[in-house]
Amino acid sequence: MSAVIPFFQWCDNTMVSQAIRDSRVAFPVIENFHLFALTVLLGSLVVLVLRQFGLIYRTQPISEVASALRPWNRWSLAVMLTSGILLFLSEAMKCYGNMSFRIKMLFLFLALLFQFTIYNRTVAARTVASDDKSAPVGGKIAAAIALCLWFGVGLAGRAIGFLG
Amino acid sequence: MSILSMCQWLQDTNIGTSIRESIWVFPIIETTHVLALSISVGLVLVSDLRLMGFIMKRRPASEVYEQIKPWMFIGFAIMVITGIFLFWCQAVKAYNSIFFKTKVVLLVVAAINAIAFERGIYRKVDKWDNALVPPMEARVAGWASLILWAAIITCGRTMAYTF
Repeated sequence: MSAVIPFFQWCDNTMVSQAIRDSRVAFPVIENFHLFALTVLLGSLVVLVLRQFGLIYRTQPISEVASALRPWNRWSLAVMLTSGILLFLSEAMKCYGNMSFRIKMLFLFLALLFQFTIYNRTVAARTVASDDKSAPVGGKIAAAIALCLWFGVGLAGRAIGFLG
Repeated sequence: MSILSMCQWLQDTNIGTSIRESIWVFPIIETTHVLALSISVGLVLVSDLRLMGFIMKRRPASEVYEQIKPWMFIGFAIMVITGIFLFWCQAVKAYNSIFFKTKVVLLVVAAINAIAFERGIYRKVDKWDNALVPPMEARVAGWASLILWAAIITCGRTMAYTF
C-alpha cells in the first residue's frame, strides 16, 4: 500500500485541501451536503427495494418506480461523490491510515460496480412478472445485495470518524 | 430544579453514563440514527415530491403517501428511540447547543406542518388525488416539509461541532 502514499500526500496538499482546512465552516458545510445526499440516495434506494419486495406501490411496475426515482438517485450520487472528494482532500493523510476509509472505498467500488452492471438492469426490465407483483427471486436478491452494499458504504463512512 | 440541572441529572444516570463511556454503544446508536435518515426523511421526501407535483404524477397522491406511511413511521420510530438515547447521554452538551435547541423547535414546526396537512387539504384529497400538480396548500406543505427536514438534518449534524 505504501506505493500510494505520494498520491495521498499530494491530495492532502492541494489548494482546495488547504482552503477547506483553513476555514472553520467549510468542512461542516460540505459534510452537511454529504449527509443530505446520503438521505436522498439511500432513501430512494429503500423505496425501490420495498417496491421490488412487493411491499409498496404494487400497482406501479417496478421499472416505473425506478424511472421516477432515477434522477434523484443520480444527482444525489453526484453530490455524494463531489462532497466526498472534497472531504477526502481536506484529510487525505488521515484517511490513508484509516481502516474504515479503506473498507468504505471497497464497499463504494462494489456498490457502484453492482449497481451499474447488474442492479439497474433488474429494475429496468419490463417483464409481465414484475408488473403488479413483487420482483422475481433474482430481482429480490439483487435488491438485497444493493441495499447491503450501499448501507455498508454509509456504515463504514460513519466509522471513519469513530474507529480510525 | 432548572432545565440545566435536569439535563445534568439525566446524563449522570446509570444509562446516560454507560452509553457515554462505552466504546461501542454510542457509535452504534449514533450510526443507526444517521443511517435511519434514509427510512425516515428519505421516505418523507418521496411523498413530499409527489405533493409538490414532481414525481409519480400519474399515480394518485393518496396512494403514494399512504403506502409509504407505515415505513415512514418505522423510520421515525428508530429516529426517536436512538435520538432519545443520544440526548440522554449528553443532555448538558445538547442543552448548551444553539443547534440542538433550533432542532427541537424545527421538529415541532415539522410536526405541526404534517398535522395541518392531514387535517387540512388532505381531508379533501378525493378532489385532487389525480391532479398532476396538487393544489397550492398541498404543494406548500410539501415544500415546507422538505425545507424543515433539511434544516433539522443540518442542526443535528452541526451540533457535533463547537465553533
